[in-house]
Amino acid sequence: MDKRYRMAALIGVLLIFAASTLAVMGIVPVTAQTNAYTAKYVQGPIPLDPTAGLWQQAEKGNAVLVAQLLTYPQRLDTQPRQVSYAAVSNGTHFAIYLEWSDETEDVPQLGALDQFPDAAAVQFPVMAGEQPYVCMGMPDNPVNIVMWSADGKVENLVAGSGYGTKGQQEQQARGLHKTPTSPIVKLPPEEQIWTASASYSDGKWRVILVRPTGGVGSFTPSLDPGSEVSIAFALWDGSKYERAGSKVTSGWMTLKLEAPAGAAAVETVTVTETQAAGTVTQTVTQTATVTETIAAATGSVKAAIVGFLAALVIAIIMLALLYRKGALKGV
Amino acid sequence: MVRAQISMVMVLDKCIGCHTCSITCKHVWTNREGQEYAWWNNVETRPGVGYPHRWEDQEKYGGGWVADNGKLKLRMEVMKKRDPPKMEDYYIPFDYDYDKLFDENVQQEQPSANPVNMITGERMDVKWGPNWDDDLAGGDIYARMDPNWKVLEKEITLNFKDVFMFYLPRICNHCLNPACLYACPRKSIYKREEDGVVLIDQNRCRGYRLCVTACPYKKVYYNWKTGKSEKCILCYPRLETGQATVCTVSCVGKVRYMGVVLYDETRIEEVANVPDDKLVEFQRSLILDPFDPQVIREAREAGIPDNYIKAAQKSPVYYMFKKWELALPLHPEYRTLPMVFYVPPLNPVITALDRRGKYMAEYKNILPTIDELRVPIRYLASLFSAGNEEEVRKSLKKLLAIREYFRLIEVEGLSKMEASKVLADQGLSIEDAELMYKWLALGRERWTIPTAQKVKVGRMSHMKKKGRRR
Ligand code: SF4
Ligand code: SF4
Repeated sequence: MDKRYRMAALIGVLLIFAASTLAVMGIVPVTAQTNAYTAKYVQGPIPLDPTAGLWQQAEKGNAVLVAQLLTYPQRLDTQPRQVSYAAVSNGTHFAIYLEWSDETEDVPQLGALDQFPDAAAVQFPVMAGEQPYVCMGMPDNPVNIVMWSADGKVENLVAGSGYGTKGQQEQQARGLHKTPTSPIVKLPPEEQIWTASASYSDGKWRVILVRPTGGVGSFTPSLDPGSEVSIAFALWDGSKYERAGSKVTSGWMTLKLEAPAGAAAVETVTVTETQAAGTVTQTVTQTATVTETIAAATGSVKAAIVGFLAALVIAIIMLALLYRKGALKGV
Repeated sequence: MVRAQISMVMVLDKCIGCHTCSITCKHVWTNREGQEYAWWNNVETRPGVGYPHRWEDQEKYGGGWVADNGKLKLRMEVMKKRDPPKMEDYYIPFDYDYDKLFDENVQQEQPSANPVNMITGERMDVKWGPNWDDDLAGGDIYARMDPNWKVLEKEITLNFKDVFMFYLPRICNHCLNPACLYACPRKSIYKREEDGVVLIDQNRCRGYRLCVTACPYKKVYYNWKTGKSEKCILCYPRLETGQATVCTVSCVGKVRYMGVVLYDETRIEEVANVPDDKLVEFQRSLILDPFDPQVIREAREAGIPDNYIKAAQKSPVYYMFKKWELALPLHPEYRTLPMVFYVPPLNPVITALDRRGKYMAEYKNILPTIDELRVPIRYLASLFSAGNEEEVRKSLKKLLAIREYFRLIEVEGLSKMEASKVLADQGLSIEDAELMYKWLALGRERWTIPTAQKVKVGRMSHMKKKGRRR
């Protein structure tokens, strides 16, 4: 029996397996999206106005967010959404800009009992170099979450809930008098280091979340320039009564925080923009590296399915060929 | 596994609809911004719409559990319902600008205080309130809006001579199978192991309001100011010091009775799952006999302190719900196993009038027989026994037997022994009758509340993650 054929048969089978895994991964939000985004190192203060030139002209990453369907309370409609993001740091602060479409600006009115705010969250691993379970972490490998909501709240939270995993289901098993530990906890006041500014116009939310870099407490990653960290997003649409697990989420992505020392590989461009208030001149340092283009939500799912089908066809052809050559007899 | 629960019985014949319970509760617990519209205790007129407006209409509110092929599911999940009630479903809370009565400049007209919206501070027209239909029962607008009315429509007219009414005070039922607790994805709601009080941890709550929708009695109230949900706490700081709740102590009609019951925790899921007409019977079977040595032993093994076991032996709730089968749960078909019970009203203890305006009952002993009562059994069954009329009859017959027994002694001059035949017919003894007389008529010793055992006030141990006592 020809060894080469045997090898090829094995690769074919593996290909099918890999492709089907990919397809599954494209649909279930437990995946790591392999995209990397580089947060530039900027000089001087970071603008807090979401319409500022720095943010509008910054290169954006795109994240695909799909309905959370693993655990109660699930989202009712399963349409994916998309968030564009940009991030910078300047030696003292880290800021991330989020932009997404939402037809309604949902800010609960005074005394409203049935209104929910639009909201967004950014998730990081608590422990450097880790990539915890993407659905709000695990008890032994938690995540740090900053949550902004349209009612003006910004909260720094820690979670290790293991949603959708076996442990969590057992925790939820029926039984009275149960007081399990909370799956998400708000960090103490001294660790509430995030501030936010937001604007809503043209059917879009634009939100900037800012915090000092460096460590605080034991649940908030330091996000120092030069480091690399996993990042994931979630969005809630208040008009659809979305809150809690009723949300859309992304997989993990990679966020590279550019170091100031890397300036050798960096060229400086000056961006001038005109605003109603006057002219603001800002210096933006941009790397020559081009970040990966990111597939759109439906795109990635489609890609996965196409990939799966293609692999299937190839594998079938291969298997047929191999069969004819009698190679499979030994497998 | 034996558990202890502090629970309540309300004897509806005695409620005069004075709202003292609601007002005292409001003053103690919810006289705050964000809870203006919330009445942890409210009193409804029946037939009527209740508060929030038609809360029993679960097609609208999505509360409680549904039994689906042997599995219990939250109705809100089955219905895919996500929106909690609106302020308008309760009412727009209002006050009056009383200051005007003092500050008004001198003018022709009398100064008058006008209603103002308590949230916005603006003048408003009051169009609805939490007890808007107070005393209007039988009025053809509100009676017809009562979700329980549908069981009657064909046979009961709204003629004046047929109308009936009674009051229905309501608090959180501190259920054994609380829908609010299971609906909370943050696990902010817990049932205290020592006394079964259902509480919302204000530190954990994130204001998702899934509990508000899930509670079929609409007894969780979102506080729009704090962004968290709140509910009746059964006055637990009072319970811990051996005092009854504020609503119980302040009750003018001496309607409310409180005490400990011991129950079998392991059977909750089974009991919450039985067919509608069996729900009352099975819920009763959960309650254990506090005099049974086996029960006492198991209770001790489960860590229930002796003062709780003693209290359970003196508990009016045990006698009225379990032993005498007088009291019934409110809407057991919601399957939360509510632990506040109601003794249904005989009132008025007269019969309906016939077409010529004569009483329909044939009087043997002044008292009419059950099915000649003015309050239709079917209506009571819709409220208190998921439609099982036999459960209501059983209760009313006993209530009548007690009245008859004492009438035979006091009016007809019979001896206790001679009179006790009417009791025996209903499975009651002379001792039972005397205890009932003490509790129901004289209203003495209406509650026995054991003080909390310091070591067992369980929150600290949970926070240290020591886990539950098993
Ligand atoms: S009555 Fe409602 S709020 Fe109270 S325990 Fe039952 S389900 Fe929860
Ligand atoms: S205080 Fe007592 S009598 Fe008055 S309404 Fe409340 S329950 Fe009824």
